[in-house]
Amino acid sequence: MKRSTFISFVAPSVMSMLILIALPLVAIVYLALYQSYTQMEIKEVKTEVPLFGGMTREVIRNVPQPVMDDAGNPIQVWEYVGTQNLKNAIDTEGLSSAFNADQNINSTRSFIRALFDEIRDVDFWSALEFTLIYTFLTTPIIIILGFGLALATNRLTERLRGPVVFVTLLPMIVTPVVSSLAVYWLFVDGGVIAASLEAMGIGKFYFLADQFTIRAVIVAYGVWYAAPFAFIILYAGLQTVPEEPIEAAIVDGASPWQRVRYIVIPHLTPLFSVIALIHIMDSYRVFEPILVFGSRVFANSVQYLTYYTLVFEDNIHKASAYAILTVLGVVVLLIPIMIRTFKDQKAGK
Amino acid sequence: MKPANLNIVTHSIINLGLWFWFLVALLPFFWMFLISLRVPVDAFSTPPKLFAPVTFENFRYIWVEDGFWRYALNTTIVTAVTVVVSLTMACLAAYALSRYRGSIGFWLLIAAMVFRAMPHVVLLTAYRPAFFELGIWSRYETLIIVLVAINQPFAIWMLRAFFMNIPEELDEAALVDGCTRWQAFFRVIVPVMWPGIVTAGLFCFLLAYNDFLISSQLMNGDMSTMTAALGSYMGQNQSLARLMHGIAGAVSITIPIIILVFVFQKQIVSGMTAGAVKG
Repeated sequence: MKRSTFISFVAPSVMSMLILIALPLVAIVYLALYQSYTQMEIKEVKTEVPLFGGMTREVIRNVPQPVMDDAGNPIQVWEYVGTQNLKNAIDTEGLSSAFNADQNINSTRSFIRALFDEIRDVDFWSALEFTLIYTFLTTPIIIILGFGLALATNRLTERLRGPVVFVTLLPMIVTPVVSSLAVYWLFVDGGVIAASLEAMGIGKFYFLADQFTIRAVIVAYGVWYAAPFAFIILYAGLQTVPEEPIEAAIVDGASPWQRVRYIVIPHLTPLFSVIALIHIMDSYRVFEPILVFGSRVFANSVQYLTYYTLVFEDNIHKASAYAILTVLGVVVLLIPIMIRTFKDQKAGK
Repeated sequence: MKPANLNIVTHSIINLGLWFWFLVALLPFFWMFLISLRVPVDAFSTPPKLFAPVTFENFRYIWVEDGFWRYALNTTIVTAVTVVVSLTMACLAAYALSRYRGSIGFWLLIAAMVFRAMPHVVLLTAYRPAFFELGIWSRYETLIIVLVAINQPFAIWMLRAFFMNIPEELDEAALVDGCTRWQAFFRVIVPVMWPGIVTAGLFCFLLAYNDFLISSQLMNGDMSTMTAALGSYMGQNQSLARLMHGIAGAVSITIPIIILVFVFQKQIVSGMTAGAVKG
């Protein structure tokens, strides 16, 4: 295909991505470098306060008021602050004081403690902490669970496979906000799970009021939501496993488990890494369960932190700083995938 | 792979595990459907009841009194236009990317991959001040064009995988017969691409339909989509009655998806495996 034809084919798509994805990425860098506020001034306001008998007294008060421009709109002042927003977001001061804290005998222990305090107290670090916990707990679980389900489904008769695939697709395809809500209503105080446990005499649980349980519920949601993805890919992969080596292994007396371990798993290795890479990318963006469970205090995510700062604190500059840090995280996660694609491309040529 | 012959105990354990997953996968939806048909007292009772009087009051209230039909209409307009526009643009780009040998093509794909991984809130942070300044807040066009752009990276990758499967001899034959590239694309390639286009369209639809983050922020009031409108029923300090309406709303959003999965199960599976399994 000629280069000019190529360009005319890709132009609409590339333009839309440039304007609505690439440009915003530049814009957040710009936004993060500034701080804005409404310009205020102290104005003397004279009011006539009625006294008795129709007499009045003039009272002068100093009231802060926004400065108006000629059109009568309040003036927004944009002040260049450089990297200050970013520094505030990652709390460089707190970090350096944690690093330089007392260098005495207990230094390792106190250093670790200072670091933990830092993670707990600074919004960004605590959000990153749970995002990483979520990502690196769910990834191995969904791969193992998905693989187990794929093997089990593979044993079913043709007629039963369809319904299993159908049901398995639901947690993944249904609107994430809705599926988070569905799980939330199971675990809410007085919801079916808490009520059942209470009725069975196991005890009273308030899943959403404790850091450990709410984190466990969110991780469980993550597994429930993403295992189908691993399942579908691995199930399709199982259909491509060649029969000859397996038959040879049976002749050699390999047990079913050995056949899985030494033939099936090596054959599916590329798929395991694809699933891990895509899932890590997606779970870094975890948002809906945090929003729906209202778990910001106990379990936050970098994406929800940015959303909260943007929507509820209405601070675009601080939100931009968080957004930049989020993007940096994505890029770090993407490097292995990019290297892989690059190698594939070279091999293809 | 043919399943191995296992002894009866192992076989039963495996089947039991599978049925357990079946239940776990369904339970949240099953329970949501069940309590949406109840009065609040029965929905959140201790101990929970499996059987309770059925009422459609929650659905009547949310669709009629709360005007959920308006949000459903918005969702229909936004998703339908988004799917058509996304597919048109992505098909052209993906076709070119599958046939072009130069290095810009490769870098474009890499860029698309980075864009696909971008958390949407990053984009929203920039949209908020920009769209407000431009005065294009809360309009169909705005949301549609944003969703189309967000759809592009993903759709390009998926469609490219499908176009790669169509032999290049097909376009070459058309070119030899005197077609231009555009004619070859529309008259020869598109007709054989329909299954791939339907699959990619499903995923574009799901992205637009399921989006909460962008839709809830770009549209407000009567312009909300269904998913975004659900936001006003959420939160731990809502009254029980309002919560019940939210549950009815959530069920209303789920039903079209369930129908979709039922009808297009094969296409969804093929779309998910298109990129991963083959390459």
